[in-house]
Amino acid sequence: MKRFAGIFWSLLFLAVPVLGVAVFAVAPSIDVWLPKDVSEHGSQIDGLFYFILALTGVVFIATELLLFWFIWKYDESIAKGPATYIHGSHTLEVVWTIIPAVVLLFLAIYQMNTWADVKMRRPVMAPTVEVVARQFEWRLRYPGRDGQLGTPDDLFLVNDLHLPVDEDVLVQLKSMDVLHSFFLPNLRVKQDAVPGMKIPVWFKAKETGEYDLVCAELCGWGHYKMKGRVTFVTRPEFDAWLERMYLEQEATQPENGEAMP
Amino acid sequence: MSTATIPAGAPATLPSKPAPRSRPVAAFLSTYVFSKDHKVIGLQFLFSTLLWFLIGGLLALAVRWQVAWPWSDVPVLGKLFAQEGGQMSPEFYTMLFTMHATVMIFLVIIPILAGAFGNFLIPLMIGADDMAFPTLNMLSYWFMWPAFIAFGASFFVEGGAAAGGWTSYPPLSTNPASSPGSGMGQTLWLVGLTFVGVSSMLGSVNYMTTIILMRAPGMTMFRLPMTIWAMFITAVLQAFALPVLTAAGFMQLGDRMLGTGFFSPEGNVVNNAMVGAGGGQPLLWQHLFWFYSHPAVYIMILPAMGMVSDIMTTFARKPLFGYRPMVYSIAGIAGLGFIVWGHHMFMSGMNPALGITFMVSTIMIALPSAVKTFNWLGTLWGGRIQFTTAMLFAMSFVSMFIIGGLSGIFMAATPVDIFIHDTYFIVAHFHYVLFAGTAMGVWAGIYYWFPKMFGRTMNEFWGKVHFFLTFVFLNGTFFTMHILGAVGFPRRLADAYHYETFHHLQPMNAFMTWCAIGMVASQAIFAVNFFWSMFFGPVAGRNPWNANTLEWTAPSPPGHGNFDFQPVVHRGPYEFSVPGMEKDHLMQTDPPVAMPAVAHPAMAH
Amino acid sequence: MHLQYQPGLPLSRGKLIMWLFLSTEIMFFAALLGSYVVLRFGALVWPKPHHVHLSEPIGAFNTFVLICSSVTIVLALESARANKAGAAKLWMLLTLLLGSLFLGIKGYEYQAKFSHGIFPWAPRSRIHEKPDLYYGSAVRARLGEADIVDRLKVLDETTADKLSAEELRGRQSLSDIRKMLANPDQGAFDMAVVADQVMPLAAEGGHGAKDHGSSEHGGGPNDVFPWLKLPIVIPGGNMWASTYFLVTGFHAVHVAVGLLVFAIMLTWTLNAKRAGAIENIGLYWHFVDLVWIFLFPLLYLF
Ligand code: HEA
Ligand code: HEA
Ligand code: CUA
Ligand SMILES: [Cu+2]
Repeated sequence: MKRFAGIFWSLLFLAVPVLGVAVFAVAPSIDVWLPKDVSEHGSQIDGLFYFILALTGVVFIATELLLFWFIWKYDESIAKGPATYIHGSHTLEVVWTIIPAVVLLFLAIYQMNTWADVKMRRPVMAPTVEVVARQFEWRLRYPGRDGQLGTPDDLFLVNDLHLPVDEDVLVQLKSMDVLHSFFLPNLRVKQDAVPGMKIPVWFKAKETGEYDLVCAELCGWGHYKMKGRVTFVTRPEFDAWLERMYLEQEATQPENGEAMP
Repeated sequence: MSTATIPAGAPATLPSKPAPRSRPVAAFLSTYVFSKDHKVIGLQFLFSTLLWFLIGGLLALAVRWQVAWPWSDVPVLGKLFAQEGGQMSPEFYTMLFTMHATVMIFLVIIPILAGAFGNFLIPLMIGADDMAFPTLNMLSYWFMWPAFIAFGASFFVEGGAAAGGWTSYPPLSTNPASSPGSGMGQTLWLVGLTFVGVSSMLGSVNYMTTIILMRAPGMTMFRLPMTIWAMFITAVLQAFALPVLTAAGFMQLGDRMLGTGFFSPEGNVVNNAMVGAGGGQPLLWQHLFWFYSHPAVYIMILPAMGMVSDIMTTFARKPLFGYRPMVYSIAGIAGLGFIVWGHHMFMSGMNPALGITFMVSTIMIALPSAVKTFNWLGTLWGGRIQFTTAMLFAMSFVSMFIIGGLSGIFMAATPVDIFIHDTYFIVAHFHYVLFAGTAMGVWAGIYYWFPKMFGRTMNEFWGKVHFFLTFVFLNGTFFTMHILGAVGFPRRLADAYHYETFHHLQPMNAFMTWCAIGMVASQAIFAVNFFWSMFFGPVAGRNPWNANTLEWTAPSPPGHGNFDFQPVVHRGPYEFSVPGMEKDHLMQTDPPVAMPAVAHPAMAH
Repeated sequence: MHLQYQPGLPLSRGKLIMWLFLSTEIMFFAALLGSYVVLRFGALVWPKPHHVHLSEPIGAFNTFVLICSSVTIVLALESARANKAGAAKLWMLLTLLLGSLFLGIKGYEYQAKFSHGIFPWAPRSRIHEKPDLYYGSAVRARLGEADIVDRLKVLDETTADKLSAEELRGRQSLSDIRKMLANPDQGAFDMAVVADQVMPLAAEGGHGAKDHGSSEHGGGPNDVFPWLKLPIVIPGGNMWASTYFLVTGFHAVHVAVGLLVFAIMLTWTLNAKRAGAIENIGLYWHFVDLVWIFLFPLLYLF
């Protein structure tokens, strides 16, 4: 009876790594997994994700299995004699400090380049579009024909972000009121928009298509519905679209300055 | 299990129970309400926090309800806070998770660890008759009440309770026009926080003084049980980190009420309203907040780690593996904890170069945690495990902390955090460390020290049923959150299904919500067991678990002044299964015996 | 049962907890001062001390007062240790008085700010960040308020011989201001001129520099006619006021708490038995003193 309890509990602890791995193994096949990545730098991020998943996965399985094994094996009802009288092991302590230290240091250094690519090595170019977040919409401002922001021929739009594919895109991110966060799941891009700051965000899409633009920082009651769409089109299509939108704006809104105070 | 072990060094005839407290009714108040006795104060903290735990859990259920079935009628709660027809409004949802987190963190986990266990255990485990400053101690409990009232009342004021997330980032939180909850509710939130802060500050300086100056003769620092070490270092963390949050709280109050503009940038207009003349910095709040709140996450786990270490040694009948490394790693976690706060701000617009330094320090925190994890495993190795409820909870703490800790590594990696920041991956991470970790540790502590608190043991069978259900349901609820996070499912969204990317995740969320319901329901077993055992459980002797530390030499429950003899400590707290002894454990007070040669002198104490 | 304890640190419980408490206080002020530094160096402009009526001599004198009080509390402790209760009480009384003097001077300084409308932002603050059109309309609005109109009328009708030279100059600049505001097509430049008329300090070598060191800069119509209360332009002034009142306010609260304790202790017999308590409050007092020694240069000199 007592042994039965020991078996029962150790198996419960064994279920943790078994089911844990199972969940991660099954998830991709039921489409509950990293969304499709269409960005150039995304594969670096995903690669790092998988690398850490593998690393922590090994640590997870190893430690959880050990835990299970000790619970199984050192059950009072089957382990004979008194417990091992030991206070520790100097060698072991050194080993299990040094090994993780090396692994972790490697991890820290390994990822720096990706971070620098995505957040520090800003391409030298004029902003493709200015995105101004506000409760609860994304206001977009494209430079007009003169290629410069802040001139009378700027194009103003809301929530409908179009961008050219296969080339660097520089978004100038601002907020008008509270914090928001510019999140493009399919491009592995996220950046908070902070009132009072102009933050550059850059990326490069590899594929055309239409994706979600999510607000990922709590910005009030309407946070959940602060939804935009981003559409990547080829350069000629993009230019044509800009032109069309501009003409539309001219037609409906003679004073375009009004859209953007 | 022997029911009453008379501690060595104690007078031969000891009352098995303390003298009955036959005091006049008039003294009731001074004994149970305005008591200065650390044990009563500890229990006051325990009962208050358990009550808030229940409230926090119900708030969590309401959160889960909305996430699983957005905009459907909420059972029970919907009637209480009826909007139109019992359906939740989005602003109510933001309020729910804000207050869920606030309650859980500031009114449950922090006060149950430091307030309830810290108070009850510190004097008993070091051999003191009470805290160094009993009146201060009493005040630290009573300063919680203004906080209880402020947080509680905030649900009923106009605009509802605070709704800016538990992190209260400005300008959302400073500008009343920006959200309904940023009105009176947010002010009450800040007031409540200040009182929690005062309470913790009073507690922490008192604990440090007590531990430094009131240890029993022979109780050197390196003979302290891990629980006490953890409480000590937690107190240090509290004392040094908390004043920063208090200062920040005052600044936010100033922004809201006095027209200062610390956190409002130039010309910041929200909903046509302006706060302050600007010139301030929203990110300043985040720095100040996380300067406290990151150390605070260790405040919320170190005591549980200490308690789990003690419980695991007792029920593995084996000395703690690597006592000193365990102490140093706690100190290491605490020390590093002060220089990693920026990992919550990788996406905040903070200088990305600064992000790199925070990334490195954060990753390094895994090192002392690794040392702890491996030493716990080492403690089980070669042990003789007794499957008590307390032990099951303690072992599950280790199992779950590994999961929560490892997910921290993903987020510490700045590039990966770009994708998973503010998704359910984070929610999974901190529920694993906070609920699956700390709360399991707390339950371990309750089952373990219940006999000392009330003189009776809790029912083991129902305890195990409680453990089993909680363990299963919690993993059902929280493990799945990792893969939701991998899809990028954002947190704090009242309804995410209108996004194409997240559209298909509703069934999974429904599953998690059913698990959460099961988890909360299982707590009924615990509540009944708890109260029933308080009055009708089997009477426990002084040392029902045959443990070594000083509290088990005192009567159960200990009377005023704790000890009925002068405890003198002769050894460390973990002398289990010493070869050649007839008992399998040597209490700290047992008279000196010839000890066998220690295998590794460096590790001895 | 009276328990015995392992010797820990060679400190009494009271002293240890006081040290620990003070370390929490250090963190509290570190947060405030850190925020001050971040906000100040993150700001585009920051007012010079005399723009905001900060007077270095007064600040320095106050520093001196506080240092003296730190000395007297030490003397109180020495006397108490020597069991000279009377002398101890005298020194403590002196400490209390010096502390009160400090608060009094602080109050006077606050008053000087308040009377100039230097508050953190609306509704009481009269500070504008820039001399823009909003500023112009604020001045105009103020001048258009009924009671001001009445007073201006009286002022205009007063004959020159009834006015002092100061007042004459004030009246002159007031009428300049009104003339400039009356001009229908004024631009930002005119507003800068208006602002300078209202509070002549933007130009180096003007009143500000001349009166450098006194809390009055004089000359502006606001100073000549205290009822006027025209909005003023101090770039960075609101944030300055926010941080100034934040740090000095919390410091003053700490001083006041110390004074309260002194007052309570004065009712005791301060003999050798009380030396421990005096030492503890003394530690606290030194700490408060030390904070001020950081505040003074940060706020007044840089
Ligand atoms: C008790 C609470 C607790 C604890 C202990 C931790 C522990 C850790 N946390 Fe967590 N954290 C929170 C509570 C906690 N956290 C909360 C509440 C939030 C969210 C706040 C909010 O936004 O609302 C958060 C958020 C959070 C973030 C921000 C994420 C984001 O918002 O984008 C990050 C990023 O780095 C992070 C990292 C870590 C790390 C690295 C640890 C480490 O300490 C973990 C170390 C442990 C291990 C690693 C496991 C054991 C080790 C081994 C088995 C050894 C071998 C391992 C390797 C070689 C990898 N946490
Ligand atoms: C200690 C901290 C703690 C704890 C214990 C919990 C517990 C739970 N949490 Fe929470 N949670 C947070 C801290 C915590 N949480 C934080 C910090 C956030 C972030 C908020 C933000 O974004 O600002 C959050 C957010 C959060 C979210 C995300 C909301 C969102 O982003 O939109 C969700 C969603 O599922 C959730 C669910 C739950 C659930 C189902 C539980 C369950 O585990 C609850 C189970 C409850 C019980 C089991 C109650 C038990 C009762 C007793 C034991 C009492 C017995 C009584 C007596 C004896 C008298 N929590
Ligand atoms: Cu905008 Cu959330
Ligand atoms: Cu953290």
